[in-house]
Amino acid sequence: MIKTILITTATFSLFFLTGCGQTAPGLDGNNVGKNNISDATQIAGETVTIDENQYGNETIGSGTAGKYNSSSDGFRSIYFEFGDYSISSAMENYVASNANVVNSAGASQIKIEGNCDEFGTDEYNYALGLKRAKAVKDAIAAQGVDTSKVVIVSFGESNPVCSNPTDECYAQNRRVDLRLAK
Amino acid sequence: MKYFLLLLVSINLFAVDATLTIEKDVEQRSRIALVDGSAVSNDKIFNILLSDLKISGHFLPDSTVHKGAISSNFIVPALKNQEYVLKYALSQKSGTKLLIRLLKASDGTQILKKSYAIPTTSKMPFLAHKAISDINNVLKYPDISWINRYVVFSRYTTPRHSEILLADYTFNYQKVIIRGGLNLFPKWADKNQKSFYYTSYGKLIPTLYKINIYTGAKEKITTSEGMLVCSDVNKNGSKLLLTMAPEGQADIYELDLATKIKTRVTKFSGIDVNGKYVDDESRIVFVSNRLGYANIFKKSIHSAAVSQVVYHGRNNNACDAHGNQIVYSSRESKNTFGNNTFNLYLTSLNGSGTRPLTTTGTNQFPRFSPDGSVILFIKHRGNSSSIGYINLGSHQSLLFPLGGRKVQSIDW
Repeated sequence: MIKTILITTATFSLFFLTGCGQTAPGLDGNNVGKNNISDATQIAGETVTIDENQYGNETIGSGTAGKYNSSSDGFRSIYFEFGDYSISSAMENYVASNANVVNSAGASQIKIEGNCDEFGTDEYNYALGLKRAKAVKDAIAAQGVDTSKVVIVSFGESNPVCSNPTDECYAQNRRVDLRLAK
Repeated sequence: MKYFLLLLVSINLFAVDATLTIEKDVEQRSRIALVDGSAVSNDKIFNILLSDLKISGHFLPDSTVHKGAISSNFIVPALKNQEYVLKYALSQKSGTKLLIRLLKASDGTQILKKSYAIPTTSKMPFLAHKAISDINNVLKYPDISWINRYVVFSRYTTPRHSEILLADYTFNYQKVIIRGGLNLFPKWADKNQKSFYYTSYGKLIPTLYKINIYTGAKEKITTSEGMLVCSDVNKNGSKLLLTMAPEGQADIYELDLATKIKTRVTKFSGIDVNGKYVDDESRIVFVSNRLGYANIFKKSIHSAAVSQVVYHGRNNNACDAHGNQIVYSSRESKNTFGNNTFNLYLTSLNGSGTRPLTTTGTNQFPRFSPDGSVILFIKHRGNSSSIGYINLGSHQSLLFPLGGRKVQSIDW
């Protein structure tokens, strides 16, 4: 039975891939696939659909550590000015706080995630998010903390915590989040 | 129907773009009328055929829907002023079948008769594209086979989630290839469009995969802390330009797929991204903030010297290249937030011959067609987004409406 199905399928597929230049069949027949495009296999070939919904469902920060905080596991998010990746003086206390959490994390791996607002495109925005994550990692290292278990990743504009078209909202998205890697 | 009304409005809106002067003499294009001989009329295929004829730059199609028997060679007097008449009949009773006949309008002489069939209805747009591509070839006009290609794009769905889809160039056909997770930056791996590269965020650090769109077979290419993007693939598919950050610093690397050797091409402490092969693939153009703002630069892969390519604009943060031609997106306004004007410019590797391609709205993600004759881009205007095409030879342009979800990256 399976063999028959395979042969039938293969035969049918061959029909799809075989051209028939100028002939003009009737349109009401049952000869679908017998008069086909010879040089456009991308039309006849069926493509796949992969479902990866098991990824990307990690819990994001609880927002309990302050007015704005999308980090978790005791860390505080660090916020940035538009287009900038330097750490402002207002964020220095949070960097020190994060350094202490890294110190007490023991053998756990820590993930530093760089994020951007929506005003950028393509690769450049991801690089900007990366510079922010790197700036936070370097600032924590400058506190004398071992950062060998710290991994940095840029999420560009893909991980907004706020979607309203306001300056305050955009500012919440220009941030670095920290959390234990799970 | 409403989408095609939107399309027509968009075409009209875009046509008023002052920079898009029509250089090709209108009289050099062939006047052609479409005659629908289908048992059941279908607005969709008429509009797709019409779009294909327009964007080719070789035809002046009559936008009126005419009805008539496909088997007859009779040309009604009203169409005698055309050069060609394209009769077609579409049936979607069982799969999709399209029969076309190209006739000389003057005497009804048949120039081409051809039939197409596929077992699905969803891919009907590809039959229309193939038919117009064949007609174009029969009349010995410059090749427009790019209209037959798949467009692959990623779009955001919810925070930290995206999907990667295939579409025809008009976006009438769309199919999800990878659903769920955070999968970004799809880039065709081969000219036959059997596989594409993409970056997956399913693991701790970004991972570059190559996936076969017909079998679903995935191959892990490499990983990088920080970020990882396949920005370009060389012509024979043996080398990739990657933006990656193994030490937390975004730089451009060339990966030789056979030897697995990565060559670091840029070594700047700021941002270097978006590498694109130019010339004979011994040089690249790329986006860097080494002057304090995003701009376009060039360098040889194996030497250190870097040269500035573009001397205009406040923020030129994306580019594409084909041969010696470069297209880039430039921010024209200085609003920190809200609607900024981004326009596309065409220039050359030595910076000469720069000209604007758009003048209104936010125009980003420029991508050359494989033959370099057409540029694809995403246009945001007000609350709507469209996918646009500019034929550089004929200066014809088209816009097709996109859905509300934000496109992350696109390739074709």
